[in-house]
Amino acid sequence: MFNPKDIIETLANNVQQTASPFGIPKFMVNTWFKHASLPKKGEYLLFTGLMYQFTPYIEKSTQYLEKYEGTRMAGLLKYARHIPSYISGIGLAMITSGKEKKNAGQTLKNICSLLKKSKVDFAYRPDLDNYSGILLYDMGDQKGFVAHAKKVAQKLQKAGIKKIITVDPHTAYALKELFPKYTGINFEVKSYFELLNLKSKDCGLEVTIHDPCFFGRYLKLSDVPRKVLTNLGISASDIRNQGEFTSCCGGPAESISPSLSNEIMEKRAKELEEPGKPIIAYCPICLGNLKKSGANVEDLSTLLVRHI
Amino acid sequence: MSLVNLDFAEELKEYSEDTALECFNCGTCAAICPLVHDNFPRRMIRYVQIGARQKILENSDELWRCLHCGLCTHTCPREADPGEIILGLKRFVVANFRRS
Repeated sequence: MFNPKDIIETLANNVQQTASPFGIPKFMVNTWFKHASLPKKGEYLLFTGLMYQFTPYIEKSTQYLEKYEGTRMAGLLKYARHIPSYISGIGLAMITSGKEKKNAGQTLKNICSLLKKSKVDFAYRPDLDNYSGILLYDMGDQKGFVAHAKKVAQKLQKAGIKKIITVDPHTAYALKELFPKYTGINFEVKSYFELLNLKSKDCGLEVTIHDPCFFGRYLKLSDVPRKVLTNLGISASDIRNQGEFTSCCGGPAESISPSLSNEIMEKRAKELEEPGKPIIAYCPICLGNLKKSGANVEDLSTLLVRHI
Repeated sequence: MSLVNLDFAEELKEYSEDTALECFNCGTCAAICPLVHDNFPRRMIRYVQIGARQKILENSDELWRCLHCGLCTHTCPREADPGEIILGLKRFVVANFRRS
């Protein structure tokens, strides 16, 4: 386990200096929309919160943390916060695989295709799409979170945004529950799958769904993706820990203790593999973590796009 | 020797809702927690109840093992909100190390 103080102060400095927990400037992280020709005006604003875009960098940085956890080198992490964030961030961006970055963007393009197919009137404004700060909240840096959240929320408010579509559970929770409480700014927040209206022939496919904690338990939305799948003739196998009683994938511990994260992830992967069906995740953190376990897992949007 | 701080509950109010006294130490939270680790989070909640401020600071690394998965809060029979108590303790410890 790393010293929490070293991890928290590094993340907090990164968010403060670059608005990203990894110190990578936004123009390098958020590129998926460039050839997607998305409208700039619409009833809803698509707000990705950059979480899917971060996944390749999370994977790369976790590889290093995994290597040094429990070694003498772990103590050096306390010096990380003294390195200017954009320098460490650009370094991380350069050693991260281009293929993984492209895959992360593809998930967002799939979500846009699904929304278009469902005739949802949405816009995308990269200037308004920012990281929500949720990691600072989870880590207990309340001051850092509130300061960052206020900037993000005020920018959206200033642009006249009222209705927002989110794509991951962490950003959805931040915007739906935490922003009103800590910034005093309210938006109507929908997760993308709540707006889908898709129909297809019964394909006789069965999958096992891994509900992320924030969608399953905190926001109680786990029935919605099941209904979307039912409309496409895809059934979901029943497992013991699902919906409101879902089990964590271990992802939240990966910066503090990759070994603990792996332990939790292995347990969850076993539960999900029990029915012997392909596994579907609908959170970028869960998806990345379950992939690491070697499980046959893909994102909900990837499955849906194949069946419309 | 561990000292008890009778004003600790008051000090914690700055960081989270004051729900620790709802807890009657049944241990459901520790049983359902995916960490299965040394009576976590039950032991920490007990420390809050008795004002064992120093004990919390000495064992503070444990708080960041918490996955914030919410299972403890979801199953707590007393609605003591163990998950939020742990999050509040993280905030307390962060504020404490930033002050020192």
